[in-house]
Amino acid sequence: MSFMENLFMALSSLKAHKMRSILTMLGIIIGVGAVIIVVAIGQGGEAMLKTQITGPGNTIELFYQPSDEEIRANPNIFQQAPFKQEDIRALEQIPEIKSVVASSTKLSAIRFQEETGDVSTTGINQAYLKLNELKVAKGRNFSASDFLGGRRAGLVSNKLQEELFKGKNPVGNVVMVANQPIEIIGVLEKPTGLFAFGSMEVYIPFQTWKTIYGSSDFTQVTLQVASADQLQVAGKKAAKLLNNLHNTEKSYQVINMEEIAQGVGQITKIMTLIIGSIAGISLFVGGIGVMNIMLVSVTERTREIGIRMALGATRGQVLTQFLIESMTLTFIGGILGILLGWGTSTIVSFFAGWPALVSWQVVLGGVLFSMVIGVVFGLLPANKASKLDPIDSLRYE
Amino acid sequence: MIRLESITRSFLLGKESVPVLNGIDLKIHEGEFAAIMGPSGSGKSTLMNIIGCLDKPTEGEYYLGGENVSHYNDKELARVRNQSIGFVFQQFHLLPRLSALKNVELPMIYAGISKKERQARAEEALIKVGLIDRMNHLPNALSGGQKQRVAIARAIVNTPKLILADEPTGALDSKTSKDIMEQFKELNEEGVTIIVVTHESEVAEYANRTIMVRDGRILSPSEGVRGQIE
Repeated sequence: MSFMENLFMALSSLKAHKMRSILTMLGIIIGVGAVIIVVAIGQGGEAMLKTQITGPGNTIELFYQPSDEEIRANPNIFQQAPFKQEDIRALEQIPEIKSVVASSTKLSAIRFQEETGDVSTTGINQAYLKLNELKVAKGRNFSASDFLGGRRAGLVSNKLQEELFKGKNPVGNVVMVANQPIEIIGVLEKPTGLFAFGSMEVYIPFQTWKTIYGSSDFTQVTLQVASADQLQVAGKKAAKLLNNLHNTEKSYQVINMEEIAQGVGQITKIMTLIIGSIAGISLFVGGIGVMNIMLVSVTERTREIGIRMALGATRGQVLTQFLIESMTLTFIGGILGILLGWGTSTIVSFFAGWPALVSWQVVLGGVLFSMVIGVVFGLLPANKASKLDPIDSLRYE
Repeated sequence: MIRLESITRSFLLGKESVPVLNGIDLKIHEGEFAAIMGPSGSGKSTLMNIIGCLDKPTEGEYYLGGENVSHYNDKELARVRNQSIGFVFQQFHLLPRLSALKNVELPMIYAGISKKERQARAEEALIKVGLIDRMNHLPNALSGGQKQRVAIARAIVNTPKLILADEPTGALDSKTSKDIMEQFKELNEEGVTIIVVTHESEVAEYANRTIMVRDGRILSPSEGVRGQIE
């Protein structure tokens, strides 16, 4: 007896009890749907965290961790910016490095007319613009001449506009940063994303920063390479070069964001696993529902089983018939569950603002797992059906 | 065709073994039309179950068409029922959700016959019982006599050598009963061996031999072997 034969038989007997079949499937639909939603949102969150940590692309950050001896020799070492302008030029000579993004940040007092506050002032080089897209909501962005001429021009954060200017358009006004005048040429867009906390910020060209603070050293240096696989090589070369220049052993190091991202990914994976297993429990409960209904169905159809046996159905064929029936039930439930999960996670991701990743592995896994549930929970009822005695079954009312 | 040699069948009632058949010896030749009669509780149903390979004897040997089927396992018995025996029941036992045609196709599904051939043969069998115009009806839409004719079509569709009918007219009026018995007679004339279990003498009259069963024994003469009379 062919599989198709069994399938048609299963479909027609499920159709005979439409309401019951749908209600039984509901357990599987919700179970599979819940698992899909959890995994999709979990994977989406993980992917988003990773890109937020590693940044838009192919970058590696340099940092300075002085040794104990250096700290002893110079107790003020932490107050000094560790990267000199010569360092940046030297780094730019490394062939793998596409650009060196350098900036310096200092907290200063800011004043506009009567209003005062503390502002984080960041002097940036031109490469900074390429990597960290500073999106301008009002006014204009920096131009090349701003950097070359060291113009006293600044971009301010949305938060600064709110606090210092009470929400009024600040473009064109001059503010005093560390008692030096800076003309506001633009306002940045409100930051979005998980780690975005609005704060009062001013970005100015590094030449201007130098004039204001009298220092040409950088506090942060990020290297950008052409492709991700050059990241490690370029990072090591850069750290070695700086250690040579500064005559230090290993005070200059690179942060491997990839590793951190993986660590974070691990956490979200565990979270997904935990919530996913809770969702899995509902799938298990759905399976018990299937078993329950199949047992009822076997009892109801005792006579049918007797007739089939009298006409020559073997116990194996009866077993197969009921197994395929429960598998069909859970398979259809699984498909509907995937649709439900996919639809729901799409809606959730739309409102939560992060992508939901419904991977084909999860879909395939969902289908296979729901079929496995059909087999596992169908086994007991099917076995019961196949063990019936044909004579008693024929007499069953 | 059928040879039963000192068949006994006992059932366990609690711890006690209660015999229902006590040493049945019986021969039925190919092409015979036999009626098995006896009061309820005589063991005629059990005898019929054993002949129909739905049950196995506790002791004794049963030869069906030359095969000793008394020690067959469930799977082999299923094959014998499928290939060699056609059943007709008092309650028709049609599957309610299948059309007449699909009901007739059932034994062929278990015989592994292709869909195309199944349909052709089922239609042929329905033509034979005169119900081809009702082939797409569900059993509920058929009269008792029509249901039984579908059941007969189902019984003959795998061309078995033996048809076993258990009170085939028990649920039918006398006019319809007559039609059904005529149908059996026709089949018998084509060479099919028929065994009818009944308690109606009108039905038994269609048979050319009557086997009386009482208290698990055969009363009437059967091929020189005399049932033991108390």
